[in-house]
Amino acid sequence: MSHFLDRLTFFKKQVDTFADGYGVVTNEPREWEDGYRKRWQHDKAVRSTHGVNCTGSCSWKIYVKGGIVTWETQQTDYPRTRPDLPNHEPRGCARGASYSWYLYSANRVKHPMVRGRLLKLWREARATLTPVAAWASIVEDAGKRASYTSKRGLGGLIRATWDEVNEIIASANAYTVKTYGPDRVIGFSPIPAMSMVSYAAGARYLSLLGGVCLSFYDWYCDLPPASPMTWGEQTDVPESADWYNAGYLMIWGSNVPQTRTPDAHFYTEVRYKGTKSVVVSPDYAEATKFADLWLHPKQGTDAALALAIGHVILREYYLNRSVPYFEDYARRYTDLPMLVRLVRKGDAFIPERLLRAEDFADNLGEANNAAWKTMAFDQDGQPVVPLGSVGFRWGQEGKWNLEAKESGGREVALTLTLAGDNPTARVSFPYFGGAATNGFKATGHGDVLTRNVPVRNLALKDGDTLVTTVFDLMCANYGLDRGLGGNNVASDYDEDKPFTPAWAENITGVPRHHIIHVAREFATNAEKTNGRSMVILGAGLNHWFHMDMAYRGIINMLVFCGCIGQSGGGWSHYVGQEKLRPQTGWVPIAFGTDWAKPPRHQNGTSFFYAHTDQWRYETLDVAEILSPTAPDGDWSGSTIDYNVRAERMGWLPSAPQLKQNPLTVAARAKAAGLEPKDYVAKAVASGELDLSCHDPDDPANWPRNMFVWRSNLLGSSGKGHEYFLKHLLGTSNGLLGKDLGAEGRERPQEVAWHDKAPEGKLDLLVTLDFRMSTTCVYSDIVLPTATWYEKNDLNTSDMHPFIHPLTAAVDPAWEARTDWQIYQDIARAFSEIAPEVLGRETDVVLTPVLHDTPGELAQPYGVSDWKRDGTTPVPGRTMPTVTVVERDYPGLYAQFTSIGPLLEKTGNGGKGIGWDTRHEVEFLRALNGTVAAGPAAGQPRLETDIHAIEAILSLAPETNGEVAVKAWEALGRKTGRDHTHLARPKEDEKIRFRDVIAQPRKIISSPTWSGIESDKVCYNAGYTNVHEFIPWRTLTGRQQLYQDHLWMRAFGEALVTWRPPVDTKATAQVQGRHANGNPEIVLNFVTPHQKWGIHSTYTDNLLMLTLSRGGPCIWISESDAKRVGIVDNDWIEAFNTNGALVARAVVSQRVNPGMVMMYHAQEKIVNMPGSEITGQRGGIHNSVTRVVMKPTHMIGGYAHQSYGLNYYGTVGSNRDEFIVIRRMNKVDWLDGTKPTMQKETVA
Amino acid sequence: MARTYRALAALLSYPTEALQAATGEIAAALAEEAIVAAPQRTAIGIFLDEVAGTDIYELQERYFALFDRSRTLSLHLFEHIHGESRDRGQAMADLVTLYQNHGLDIAADELPDFLPLFLDFLSLLPDTEARTMLTEPAGILRALTDRLGARNTGYASVMAALADIAAAPTLAMSDIPEENPDDLEAMDASWEEAAVRFGPGEAVDACGTDRVRTQIRASQRNARQTTVPSVPSRNAAAA
Repeated sequence: MSHFLDRLTFFKKQVDTFADGYGVVTNEPREWEDGYRKRWQHDKAVRSTHGVNCTGSCSWKIYVKGGIVTWETQQTDYPRTRPDLPNHEPRGCARGASYSWYLYSANRVKHPMVRGRLLKLWREARATLTPVAAWASIVEDAGKRASYTSKRGLGGLIRATWDEVNEIIASANAYTVKTYGPDRVIGFSPIPAMSMVSYAAGARYLSLLGGVCLSFYDWYCDLPPASPMTWGEQTDVPESADWYNAGYLMIWGSNVPQTRTPDAHFYTEVRYKGTKSVVVSPDYAEATKFADLWLHPKQGTDAALALAIGHVILREYYLNRSVPYFEDYARRYTDLPMLVRLVRKGDAFIPERLLRAEDFADNLGEANNAAWKTMAFDQDGQPVVPLGSVGFRWGQEGKWNLEAKESGGREVALTLTLAGDNPTARVSFPYFGGAATNGFKATGHGDVLTRNVPVRNLALKDGDTLVTTVFDLMCANYGLDRGLGGNNVASDYDEDKPFTPAWAENITGVPRHHIIHVAREFATNAEKTNGRSMVILGAGLNHWFHMDMAYRGIINMLVFCGCIGQSGGGWSHYVGQEKLRPQTGWVPIAFGTDWAKPPRHQNGTSFFYAHTDQWRYETLDVAEILSPTAPDGDWSGSTIDYNVRAERMGWLPSAPQLKQNPLTVAARAKAAGLEPKDYVAKAVASGELDLSCHDPDDPANWPRNMFVWRSNLLGSSGKGHEYFLKHLLGTSNGLLGKDLGAEGRERPQEVAWHDKAPEGKLDLLVTLDFRMSTTCVYSDIVLPTATWYEKNDLNTSDMHPFIHPLTAAVDPAWEARTDWQIYQDIARAFSEIAPEVLGRETDVVLTPVLHDTPGELAQPYGVSDWKRDGTTPVPGRTMPTVTVVERDYPGLYAQFTSIGPLLEKTGNGGKGIGWDTRHEVEFLRALNGTVAAGPAAGQPRLETDIHAIEAILSLAPETNGEVAVKAWEALGRKTGRDHTHLARPKEDEKIRFRDVIAQPRKIISSPTWSGIESDKVCYNAGYTNVHEFIPWRTLTGRQQLYQDHLWMRAFGEALVTWRPPVDTKATAQVQGRHANGNPEIVLNFVTPHQKWGIHSTYTDNLLMLTLSRGGPCIWISESDAKRVGIVDNDWIEAFNTNGALVARAVVSQRVNPGMVMMYHAQEKIVNMPGSEITGQRGGIHNSVTRVVMKPTHMIGGYAHQSYGLNYYGTVGSNRDEFIVIRRMNKVDWLDGTKPTMQKETVA
Repeated sequence: MARTYRALAALLSYPTEALQAATGEIAAALAEEAIVAAPQRTAIGIFLDEVAGTDIYELQERYFALFDRSRTLSLHLFEHIHGESRDRGQAMADLVTLYQNHGLDIAADELPDFLPLFLDFLSLLPDTEARTMLTEPAGILRALTDRLGARNTGYASVMAALADIAAAPTLAMSDIPEENPDDLEAMDASWEEAAVRFGPGEAVDACGTDRVRTQIRASQRNARQTTVPSVPSRNAAAA
């Protein structure tokens, strides 16, 4: 039949079909789409990111509608990567996606706030007095002062105007500077990389004032001291994209999907490429789902596991068989061939310091720094001075490199081992594994293990001396039987001797066959791929007291297998790390070094230890951690004694510095007819000047004013929370322990003891924040700051090579201002008020011996403590450096708002190299304009946040190709090699603020960092050391596995070893003393990072609270919970001598018995009832912690072990802590309502 | 056009010395217009005396502790309607448009949903229109009245007056029925997740305050299931 008439000739129907008639095409009105369109309508989308404590650095689109931020989404315009490498995006996580909630939330700080009692006093005083006199009348009257300091944290804030708060702050600062000295004005702000201009705002103000910026990375215990020890580098790590280049990946004490959410996709993707994944975590953490093999050692025993893996690697890849790649790497890039002196102790030898050229007659011809040039044997067994040691770095040029040459220019292949024809000696190694406490397994191997080591005898200046190589010591240390006879070595993995797999199985609980299996796969992969084995490691290891051992154990695995500096290999330490990529451009802006040098810096941990008086409660005896093989000497003293010795020797910084006002020191020197430097040295020795560190509780030595910005110091990172409240703030607290005086225990030797401890050292605590955090609640003045969508700033990360802007999508809401504006306004008020008591002043600044400066060659052999030796202190060698700095207090605002003249006079630089930067300053004159008149006339302007951003970008090699070339040239003069090829192709590239707003930009390779940006490799730490032969910035210039400083040897850590967690003795005093009738259990308290917040940020955000239990909670194992009758969601209390906290119990199979987890930094201000024991609200995770410091972290003046802000120093470890846990009976919300009773019967 | 709204706005704003001096003027305005019923005027009168006779620092500290430190007493209306929802931004944008359509721009450093600001706006509208508009947040006004009343503060009298003008029912959103822990069906119902539907309705409700409250309540369930707390959320005040 025909269908002729079925067809239309002149029309077609609006309906058509597709997919064989299963789909119908219609053409209907599409109004229904309007709902969708309306929902996504916006006026503009602005690029910004999230600013302080998340190091993820993700680019976001912020949508603005009618001047109001409505939502945010992830940016998706990252430049593409090369073929076969996944793209970076999408970056961002649930936390960032909920950030806009903060802008208009009820928890926002909306107005400048002052403690009402203080404001009333101020207004009354101000009615008749000038500003500084008004402040004096308040703080000099003990009653008036206490009337507000004792109420900190108890409400009572009221609003004030900006002008008024600025005047109060400026007056307090001026009074403090005049009365006590500028080093009593302290500032704390962390992680500048994530909003570097905001950090710089406060740091610039403080630095121009002569105030003190505290470090944070070490205080957070995120600094891995093993990194400066091994590499002379604070922390340098691969970007997350480099995970994709790995052939074998271990996640060890890190929780990538939870805490590195935007980067985790690279881990997911690389597994599809066939890379094997081993996860090491005591609990069933989220990362374990990535595991092909999950190892779960008992918490805190990771070093033992790493040592056993190292044992297998050395046995199978160095001793039984030689791997050419590994051996060549060990020879060229490590200190394994370096020679160590052996000295007698008892009936055996102990390893002493590394041999130096100066030990030889005529210094082996080394005229420069022979004491700092380390030695090795060449292929013929002749002692030679290999290039690259720190002695070549300073005082000469062209030989500081890692070419395989000796000092004379001859090619050498260094000898790794003396085994063979040489005799052996019995060498003692300390063993600490017998002293384990608190349920960590103690083993009975004795505390000194003597092993045979091959040696050679050398005729040195001071007579015949036995030497051996680091490699030979290392093999002995790992307990490897090399057929040299003697005890304490194993030839079989099943022997229970340190550090075999069988030994490690006993300590860690990890089956030995897993250890052997992982070691073989790890090393074999590295052998086949030239080092593409990688370990991602983090807080799970680094927050333990003996973190160095776990880290060095893992670093050794990587170094033995040649993984450091190789694409897809190496160590990836991701905790609190940041990468302030344009660092050298930022430093002058942040620390005011364009106007005056040096700035005052102080390591946070030692500062808080001293000034929150945690030292008064110290329970860890230094003798408990001293090595049984310690060299002879007086090793007595407590932790703070060691710290004080380090301060006065110029190892660690010290602030406040002198009991006497540093503004008066120059005049005293003049009166004495001496140069300030000579006067200070003489006066501290004679006692005419007192170092503040000798008496931190004397009111003359208290920190007086403190600024906290971009930080929740008291609610998040303040280890020893209750000590902060009691001693630094002087307010109600929940401290349960007694101090050394009350306990009748031994008191420190170096520090004055006051029977009555100070309560309330601070006159004024000022906090800038956008949310009412725990710190704000305790502050005297709270300033509303702009959120991350309301200001212009820069943000860089080590997780990727891009530089991101923060951009003001809207003006700051309510009365908020940007940090840059706030500090500028304070500076203005200060300059106006200053003439009442201050003019142009001469400040004398004490600075420790700094890393990456020629001064780091301070004490090559022994340790000279002038006070105990009775010698005359020498500034810069045996005591801090003394520098005179001119301050122009009335001109401070003019200085703040302009770029000072020093950049043009002295150039710019960093990490030991410098370059001329006049061209860039001239450029900034043209770009930012110049100051017309006043103290800064003719200088480039630095008024707006964008001025500051452009200054950073212009001065830094990472964002200005021309500077990068200059920087590589400067480094080339040191190394004698041409490195400029790394930056030449980008010489004309100058990244500006508008560029990074347009699209994420990759930074330019610079010598500030040890990796490079290129089309061929991802950023990886140590890359230029290995491929450009640039030495590591250590004593040997190599990756240093043997730490030969006297204190390292005294504390038994010259080589990595196993050290069980320390006993903080925090529970015995309180267990059973605060009984409520419920059974108690003592458990290890760990505080990992969480999924629903970034530290305390987002923990008050309702969106995030709904994703978790929404309030304080503690994870506990089923078996421990059962033992004390705790069921899921019970309110429980945890306490020890440090204080108490309350939380809900999360009873979970995830947690291993013996341990509880409380996610780091859950805010005290959310869903927190009172403690049954203290009667105070809650307590936070840090209520049960106290800082315990390690003397080896105080070492200074010794090449890589020299101070640098956030580079080296004491760290605030807290994971060795134990708590008592029990069910609560009564839940009291302290809001006047009737407490809830928890019933006992289980339903 | 009623000065009553402006008077109540002043009372709900951060207290100043100017406010203390103006209590007589406020009382007179309220009495003159009589929009606020007599019993409420009496209660407000007591509060006015308190405002006039209390140390200004004390007043300001109280205001801060109530309204700046407590989410449940927020004077930003959308805090109670949209909570953390993304719709809050759109709602605020709509409110700005409403003000603009009346020829008004916001001059203060405040958000458009700030209750005193909203009352200021109402004071410019004809009485019936103002009253109608005030009925929109009636439930919130009643809830805030109850919560302030529970804290024994004179601010409750001001909020009660507003709630009455808005003719808010006395049963407010704060009255969450207490659940019987033995009623397993009811418990199942409160825990059950709604089926996902596509369309505009879901977008509005997905992140609403009810969902938050349900989840917080769930998190606060007693471990031993003998009682269920009736308070939806606790935002602890300063330590």
